[in-house]
Amino acid sequence: MARPRTKPATSFASRPGIAGFLGFALLALLVLPSAAHAAPFSPEPGHSPNADTTTTIYWIMFAVAAVVVVAVNVALIGAVVRFRARRGREPARVRAGRRVQPRVGALLGVVAVVIFVVGIVTTTQVRDVAPSGPEGLEASSARTAQLDLSLPEGDSEPLRILASGQQWVWRFEYPDGTFSFYELVVPVDTTVVLQLDSTDVVHRWWIPELGRKFDAVPGRTNQTWFRADEEGTYDGQSAAYSGAGYATMRARVRVVSVPEYQAWLDQQGKDLQDAQEAVQKRVQQLGGAEAGAAVAQGAAE
Amino acid sequence: MSAPPTTLAPARPELVSDRFPARRPAWVTLATSGDHKALGVLFIATALAFLVLAVVELVLMRVQLIVPESTIISPEIFGQLLSTYGATAVVLFGIPFALGLISYVVPLQIGARGTAFPRLGAFGYWLYLAGGVTLYASFLYRPPDAGVNPLPPLSDTVFSSTNGVDTWIVGVGLAALGFVVFAINMLATLQTRRAPGMVWRRLPLFSWSAAVGGYVVLVAGAVMVAACAMLFIDRQFDGVFFDAGEGGSPILWQHLSWFFFTGAYVAILVTAFGAISEILATFSGKPSFSHRAVAGALVAVGALGMLAWMQNMYTAPIPIGWTYFAMAAALALTVPIGLLLFNWLATLWGGALRLRAPLLFALGAISTISFGLAGKLAYSVIPVGWQLDGTTAAQAGTYYALVGGAVLGGFAALYYWFPKITGRTMGEGIARASFWAILVGVHAMAIPMVLAGLDGQPVDIYKYYDEGALDTYNLIASVGSFVLALGVLLTLGNAAYSARRGVAIGADPWRGSTLEWFALSPPPPHNFDVIPDVRGTEPLRDIRDAVRHRTETWRPPPVERPPAAQPAESSEGARGGPPVA
Repeated sequence: MARPRTKPATSFASRPGIAGFLGFALLALLVLPSAAHAAPFSPEPGHSPNADTTTTIYWIMFAVAAVVVVAVNVALIGAVVRFRARRGREPARVRAGRRVQPRVGALLGVVAVVIFVVGIVTTTQVRDVAPSGPEGLEASSARTAQLDLSLPEGDSEPLRILASGQQWVWRFEYPDGTFSFYELVVPVDTTVVLQLDSTDVVHRWWIPELGRKFDAVPGRTNQTWFRADEEGTYDGQSAAYSGAGYATMRARVRVVSVPEYQAWLDQQGKDLQDAQEAVQKRVQQLGGAEAGAAVAQGAAE
Repeated sequence: MSAPPTTLAPARPELVSDRFPARRPAWVTLATSGDHKALGVLFIATALAFLVLAVVELVLMRVQLIVPESTIISPEIFGQLLSTYGATAVVLFGIPFALGLISYVVPLQIGARGTAFPRLGAFGYWLYLAGGVTLYASFLYRPPDAGVNPLPPLSDTVFSSTNGVDTWIVGVGLAALGFVVFAINMLATLQTRRAPGMVWRRLPLFSWSAAVGGYVVLVAGAVMVAACAMLFIDRQFDGVFFDAGEGGSPILWQHLSWFFFTGAYVAILVTAFGAISEILATFSGKPSFSHRAVAGALVAVGALGMLAWMQNMYTAPIPIGWTYFAMAAALALTVPIGLLLFNWLATLWGGALRLRAPLLFALGAISTISFGLAGKLAYSVIPVGWQLDGTTAAQAGTYYALVGGAVLGGFAALYYWFPKITGRTMGEGIARASFWAILVGVHAMAIPMVLAGLDGQPVDIYKYYDEGALDTYNLIASVGSFVLALGVLLTLGNAAYSARRGVAIGADPWRGSTLEWFALSPPPPHNFDVIPDVRGTEPLRDIRDAVRHRTETWRPPPVERPPAAQPAESSEGARGGPPVA
């Protein structure tokens, strides 16, 4: 520390303000860079190509933010330690020269432009739909598509699943009309395009390991995608306040192998059909449309 | 204060009262006054009262989140606390606290004897108070429960059929209208009531921030008034502005409301930036490193910040080009905010820093804001925003920026101008305790929130499940919020105590260089007996220099006496006795 030693060392400890600031600086200096490579400040490990891109840009921006925070705070503490008022110190009444501000501004501008370009590039990477992998449901040739546009026609359509938010559960509808609540089952290494909509209020889809958040807004269908690279279960939670039960609006994505997925889909379809038949039988037992309406109402409630 | 020196322009007599004031109780005078100082005190006192409520609500919510799957507070009550808390912290505390400081200080700084539209100013305050009372009156029957930002359709009658959301709409709408009206008054004052020579380039930096904040509030507040009216029509008169099924758009509300909340954020921060700039210059004993650059940066922060409202809507279904626009505006803010930080550090550098409470809080504000805005810089990059928006990690950035701006920055301004308002200083020891509690509290609260957000904890939840280290993070964050609350209450208690019992102090305790320190403490109703001519950015320093110059070069004028009587007279005078009349 380039502090002029004009005072005995004892006066230093007697200043709790400076000691506190210094301690704080040391803490920040120690915690921030070391934590950068430790577990706490890292996001959930990505299990989808777009999540991997996100993790990369996250670390870049984390480093930028850490540099800003450390630089500002060290400079602040340095100024306090060096230029604290003491007897005989006259403040130097200096003002900026003509060229200083444009130079600093230009430097900051360059940093901002670089971040902007990197931001655009990574955003494009995250949005480009990657093709399904070799172990996926439908192996496809390499191609990408923007989500705002319609996907190009081809022999390698991704798996499209309709995810519909409602207070406070997600409903997933598969291409063959089968549906499930809460748990989405998808095959591994397969590009899944989720079409998000909502039957009531605004919900926000998010599985941390599988890439970006996206709002489900009534009246609009939005699309997001992921391609899970590993079998397993990934938990997530809606991230937009949707009323009293919002904290319980969770979702789980279970990634399984392709044969398992096919088997699950068949079983789920059969289970649903059995359940519907059971309901119909019950309705017939009770007799008449009146009872049917009552059962339907009970189910709705 | 003695009469100002004669290097200034000759005194311009001005009629300040046309009748003998009627004798009325103090509270009637205060409540019916259009005086900017009375309104400033009312704004500040009301805003600080709402700060206490916001702190209580924050503490209650954090109590609920201490342990996983807690059942202390029911989900319904939590939703009501959450919805009231958001409106209280930003609309009923953040903006009016800034406006109160502006109302009190700016006319004094620009050498004005009052505001341009005193009754309009008073109308603005009473609208704001009516809004606050309306919001809290809902606790008598049913508080709002549609979230910090009540997004339709959740806030429409289908999903919120009670009148809670209506009180939110009316309360926030009335307060926003009050801010707009008040901003008109302040902007007209800044435009027309500046002292002779107080051209814009010499305008003190806090007054610059008031001008920028005033325009931001004027535009953003008007948008919110319109949005609240539209939502009210949707709810009460079968409107379809935000109803997707009938050709309206829920996204429209998001644009309008986020435009307002972004404006509020910008206005709060810009006002804090202005106060910090003044405090750093005063307490380092130096002029601001570059008055022009700081004023320009404040204007740029206001203009660019307003354009970045869609930074809150990265996950909404809007065309990708709009999010690029928001990212560009947010990243462009790097330049003016970086210049501000650079100029602040350059102002400190080479000074003689008097570490009194205002400077301590200003330094803490810069430090805390640096955490928040560095976080915002990261979240403004779209993929990072997609991952972390709507989590406690992004919320931690907002807490850092707003605690740094409104609480630490606002308290710095309070400690700085308190002697002007009351004629007394606030206690230094409690100030230090409060400062460290706030600083430790905000970090202990926000850092675990970042970690929890990275692990997937979303904002606004009334409970979380015991997964990973979430329980540890939330426990630490809760303890941090309690320490933060303690720090806030210490300063509020300090202010309440010192208002009557603080150490009485002169008109210019900090050796300021702007004109508010030229007036008495507290200033008389007409502020200045004589309005000085302004010749630079440090008018009071110029006056001090002129006084010193006059005193040092002053010689007793030659005495004209009859020469015959001189010997006898001088022998009398040499004995030092008082002349006998």
